[in-house]
Amino acid sequence: MTVSSLIESLKLDVHNGGDGDRPVSHGVVGDLLSFVMGGAPEGAAWVTLQTHVNLAAVAVLKDIPLVILASGRTPDPELLERCRKENITLATAIDSPFDVCGALHDLGLKG
Amino acid sequence: MDSHYEVEFTVRGDDFLAAGEASNQIKETLIMLGVPSPISRRASIITYEAEMNLVIHSGGGSLRAVITPEKLTIQATDRGPGIPDLHLAMREGFSTAPDRVREMGFGAGMGLPNIKRNSDSLEIESEVGKGTTLTATIFFHEGPVDRR
Repeated sequence: MTVSSLIESLKLDVHNGGDGDRPVSHGVVGDLLSFVMGGAPEGAAWVTLQTHVNLAAVAVLKDIPLVILASGRTPDPELLERCRKENITLATAIDSPFDVCGALHDLGLKG
Repeated sequence: MDSHYEVEFTVRGDDFLAAGEASNQIKETLIMLGVPSPISRRASIITYEAEMNLVIHSGGGSLRAVITPEKLTIQATDRGPGIPDLHLAMREGFSTAPDRVREMGFGAGMGLPNIKRNSDSLEIESEVGKGTTLTATIFFHEGPVDRR
């Protein structure tokens, strides 16, 4: 799947559109940055409840093309700005992290 | 590449806005030098965790990467409070980070274990009241770098 097709399938509210053509084959969920840093597959879609700017640094270092803020969370302005600068797609899902991950799994993403 | 390439960055304590920039610069340097991605991925985990330790615990310091044809050495140096019990600090889940930092998803006691897991060798010298120097090394076992 691509970032764009994931956004469409999950009906995400996009704050910043990055590279929509980037393929996404894996996902990761977590609010502990070291957990994501140490364990996320490269290029995974990241589901989180965190909303602060430091998400972007982790996303850049892990080549994460899509950050999904679950449960209707809105990004801090600094995060939005950094995602624009780094070309990271940032979007909100109304659903809980559990439900977002379930949907990603149904779409064929691996952990 | 030259036989020795070195970059060094100053990391400011408590500056969460800039946190991660030094690691990103080092990552870009490694890519520029043609270091294979499995190695640069491990390096990113090491540099990020070391950089965040400088931001969170030490009041700031420096983050240095030295690349030779044989190995990559990452060194984080600070003049912070030091680590009283290194054995304890290495234990997964142990953290002295304040609550405000934990609420951001840091301070889960995973930083040093993440560094150790991704290093071929790790040395930490620390003295309470004087500071800490962390040196992590990744060895290039097979031709690491594009030697144009």
